[in-house]
Amino acid sequence: MTLVTDQFWSQGDFVATSSGMPDIPRVRLPHPVAGTGHDAMGQLAEQLAGKIVGVLRGDVAPDNAA
Amino acid sequence: MNLLTAADEAAALELLHHTECTDGLPVVIPTRERVARMVVATGLDGDLDLGAMGPGGGAATIEKIATNAVMAGCVPDHMSVVLAAIRAMLQPEFDLGEMQGTTHSTAPLMIVNGPVTLHCNIAAGFGALGPGHRANASIGRAVRLCMMNIGGARPGVSDMALLGHPGKFSFCLAEDEASSPWEPLADSLGAAPGESTVTVLGAEAPHSTIFVNDADDPNSPQRLLRSIAAVIANTGSNNASFGAGAVAVALNPEHADVLGSAGMARADVQGELCRLATNRRGHLRQLNPGFVRPGDDDDAVRAVRRPDDVIVFVAGGSGLYSAVFPSWAAGAHHNPVVHERIVTDEACEIPFATS
Repeated sequence: MTLVTDQFWSQGDFVATSSGMPDIPRVRLPHPVAGTGHDAMGQLAEQLAGKIVGVLRGDVAPDNAA
Repeated sequence: MNLLTAADEAAALELLHHTECTDGLPVVIPTRERVARMVVATGLDGDLDLGAMGPGGGAATIEKIATNAVMAGCVPDHMSVVLAAIRAMLQPEFDLGEMQGTTHSTAPLMIVNGPVTLHCNIAAGFGALGPGHRANASIGRAVRLCMMNIGGARPGVSDMALLGHPGKFSFCLAEDEASSPWEPLADSLGAAPGESTVTVLGAEAPHSTIFVNDADDPNSPQRLLRSIAAVIANTGSNNASFGAGAVAVALNPEHADVLGSAGMARADVQGELCRLATNRRGHLRQLNPGFVRPGDDDDAVRAVRRPDDVIVFVAGGSGLYSAVFPSWAAGAHHNPVVHERIVTDEACEIPFATS
């Protein structure tokens, strides 16, 4: 699976398709993540960790169609 | 290949704009006849596939490249240069797909050497990277259109350059071999004397480097080298931050003469620029700590790893200004320079025609 920020969502779709993996599960992150600081990144990780694990297990739908 | 139809050339142009097949400027409509003429000029089969162009992985067939060359305004004689540039960029170490997708402003700078520069009238002197030179503009534009229409690069979707630079329209020039105190750049990269070649580096826009020579000052050559090295080491560049990647240096004939007359060979200039283009680790750490490797703050950190990563060539009008082209310095291969022979003995003579 891949984590893709808002601003790169279209590129994520493009790369997935051109790499022959159009259905690879993708989870959308806000943009930016880098540079937002330790605490903000920690909060984001806490917020998304469950979803990411769920997508990996197949229990949660990815954001591909979002 | 998919064929589009339109009522007339004006409608065809609008269709090409609408389908995002242009670079935003008007193009020559690639009619079946024009493309066929361009393919014949190559002496190659239109279906011959030179490779997959990233990031989209489109097949770079001779016919598709010819189509984009027509759109760019090329004449058949330009095709050998366009094909060589595409072949060069398809070399794995060029990392074309990654380069097209990066947020950096990199674009393929094409430096042409050899007899083909005279045959195609590729400019090397005043304003060689500016407007007014048909071959430079058309060849560079053809490569860009191939990157878009075959490689699939589209701004904000698959070409993520945050700003880009005007060299992404066209970025092609010749080396001024006649004014150079050294062997042609191509020869220094292993080409046989008299061979035509194209050398390609994914590069930023040129950074101007002012230097006033003083023939009475024995330190003039060293001052010139230090001036250029300071621009190579500019801390805004990826090279300075990553300590990797190639850089190109376009010496104008006057500046090249200062160094040549001092007895310096091209390799000497490369070595000195590599040695001098440094920043203190502590200074880099103050600016972008995330990129700095562990070490003492007083260490001199090189912007390029080795002399061969400094591509020195002669171009432009004579005067105060030379130019440095920093690079992206990233990708799996750290943005090296690539080089390809221009094959002209396969080409067919095609009468010049614009219709």
